[in-house]
Amino acid sequence: MSLPEIDLGAGADARLEPADRLRRRSPWSRAAGRFSTDRAAVTGLVVVTVFFVVALGVWLGWWGGNWAETGGGQWQSPSAENWLGTTILGQDIFARAVYSTRTAFEIGLVVAISSTLLGGLFGAISGYFAHSPVDAAILWLKGVLDSIPFYLFVAAVAFALDGQPFAMHIAMIATFWTTTARLVRGEVIKLKRLEFVEAARSVGLATPRIIARHIVPNTFHILLVQATIVFVAAIKSEVILSFLGLGVQDGVSWGLMIAESTTEVIAGRYWNFIAASSFMFVLVMGFNLFADGLQDALDPKRAGR
Amino acid sequence: MEYLVFVIRKLAGGIPLVLGVTLISFTLMVYFGPDQTYELLSKNPTAEEIAQVRSELGYDQPFWIRYSDYLVDLVTLDFGYSNATGERVAGILARTVPISMALLAPGFVLGNVLGIALGLLAAWHRGGWVDKAIMGFAVVGMSISFLVVIIAFQVLFGVVLDWFPVRGWNVHDLSSYLYYVTVPTLASVFVALGYNTRFFRAVLVEEMTRDHVRTARAFGAAPAVILWRGVLMNAMIPIITRIMFSIPLIVISGSLLIETYFGIPGVGKVTFDAITSGDQPVLKAVVGLTAIGFVLILITNDILYKWVDPRISLTRESAA
Repeated sequence: MSLPEIDLGAGADARLEPADRLRRRSPWSRAAGRFSTDRAAVTGLVVVTVFFVVALGVWLGWWGGNWAETGGGQWQSPSAENWLGTTILGQDIFARAVYSTRTAFEIGLVVAISSTLLGGLFGAISGYFAHSPVDAAILWLKGVLDSIPFYLFVAAVAFALDGQPFAMHIAMIATFWTTTARLVRGEVIKLKRLEFVEAARSVGLATPRIIARHIVPNTFHILLVQATIVFVAAIKSEVILSFLGLGVQDGVSWGLMIAESTTEVIAGRYWNFIAASSFMFVLVMGFNLFADGLQDALDPKRAGR
Repeated sequence: MEYLVFVIRKLAGGIPLVLGVTLISFTLMVYFGPDQTYELLSKNPTAEEIAQVRSELGYDQPFWIRYSDYLVDLVTLDFGYSNATGERVAGILARTVPISMALLAPGFVLGNVLGIALGLLAAWHRGGWVDKAIMGFAVVGMSISFLVVIIAFQVLFGVVLDWFPVRGWNVHDLSSYLYYVTVPTLASVFVALGYNTRFFRAVLVEEMTRDHVRTARAFGAAPAVILWRGVLMNAMIPIITRIMFSIPLIVISGSLLIETYFGIPGVGKVTFDAITSGDQPVLKAVVGLTAIGFVLILITNDILYKWVDPRISLTRESAA
């Protein structure tokens, strides 16, 4: 169905031009403008990008591949060969910390993307059908998952899945989607009362199409911010879960390195601990600054608060 | 009377939540959890011995029978005896819960009080260097892993300075309590402050930009009066909500890490050991009681709302 064309006569093009320029300046490009003036946020983005390149390099086999080699001496101090010293088995701590960057991004991306998709889907459905039995069921599931203590839930999932390497990811996804769903639900309840949704309904669009094409795209700013927050939460939880023996099963991660260091620090051997915790701190700090800037840029009301 | 009706209606409303929590955790922790049959048997057991142990543990019953037995346990608050030690579950909880409470209470109170104080300070100086310094500190606090803070404080106070014990819990009077509780408290306050300060500041800034605060300032009211009566009291509802809802998670999840790390025999450590060994009676008790605790907190929360804001009605659904 196309709108009837209106002949605006001569000069129509000239009159259209400013409107065209206005259209190009979408909310997203205005948000990008706000973001680029936020120094802390840009710093955060640079830090995250650097870590992402490091992770990508590990994945492509450019560096960090020697993390398991046991060549060096035991508990060596930092030297030209082993920049951050060696572990009890003579492994290079710097290589292990670099390789762990890949592990962190794997966990962060898998958990952030999956739980955001799940939260967006359930949030949109329960918001669009607010106060229906479907909504009640989704709210109930959220309430239930929020009431089970997180570490117990992860431990239980890990044991139920019997040592599956993805037990930790599944448990995190199952618990982290609830916040996203709550925020999306609130936004969708607001959106569905607006005129453009009413218009879509009145021209007879099917409900799934309205939700997918007209409502969900308008919640992208929430999904984006939530994804960055979940990414940070996933990396931080990995450390604690790996310490408890429920986290990364094979390979190496910052959590495993810190868990390994718990007995070493008492004996005054700090390099494993320092390497893993500072790598992690810089990445998480960068991500937090980035997420803050993103939130301010996408929500002008919040800026300066 | 109004309160009684309200509490009863809320308790009834909490039943689906408790059923959901118990059903999911029962399925995960008990039905798919570790099988203890062979740990309780001698070597080379006969088929009859295996069958006998399985029936003692209830493994031979169908799923729904075992689940409804659990619900009966929960209603009567009688969870029987631990499979691992043979001790009464009620006795285990009576021994470990007070330890966890004593361990966590100082950090919980300090973390929230200091968080509100710093949030007020930052909100009052919004945009100034005090605000920026506090918020910078908060982001740093949010970016450090709890485990890293625990290890760093343990090394600093226990090894380098040697002021406090590295681990353990041997409390019999006030001085020994302070001796063992200080390092875990410092660690949990440090971690809680990052998130708390940011949250409280956001809530307080929201309140501080309202007209009545501007008017009070214009009339020259003292900052302390504005902050206390104009801002803090009006921001009480989100503050109470956050504090109340963090209680059950702190008790189990927070205590789990601290107790495991410092080797303190509290409820978190007992529960974690129960998961890894498949000690079902203990697990059932902790998970079920946590769910009930959540429902009770929801109710207390709504009553506190009414107490801080008398306009809220307990009988209307929109208020609850």
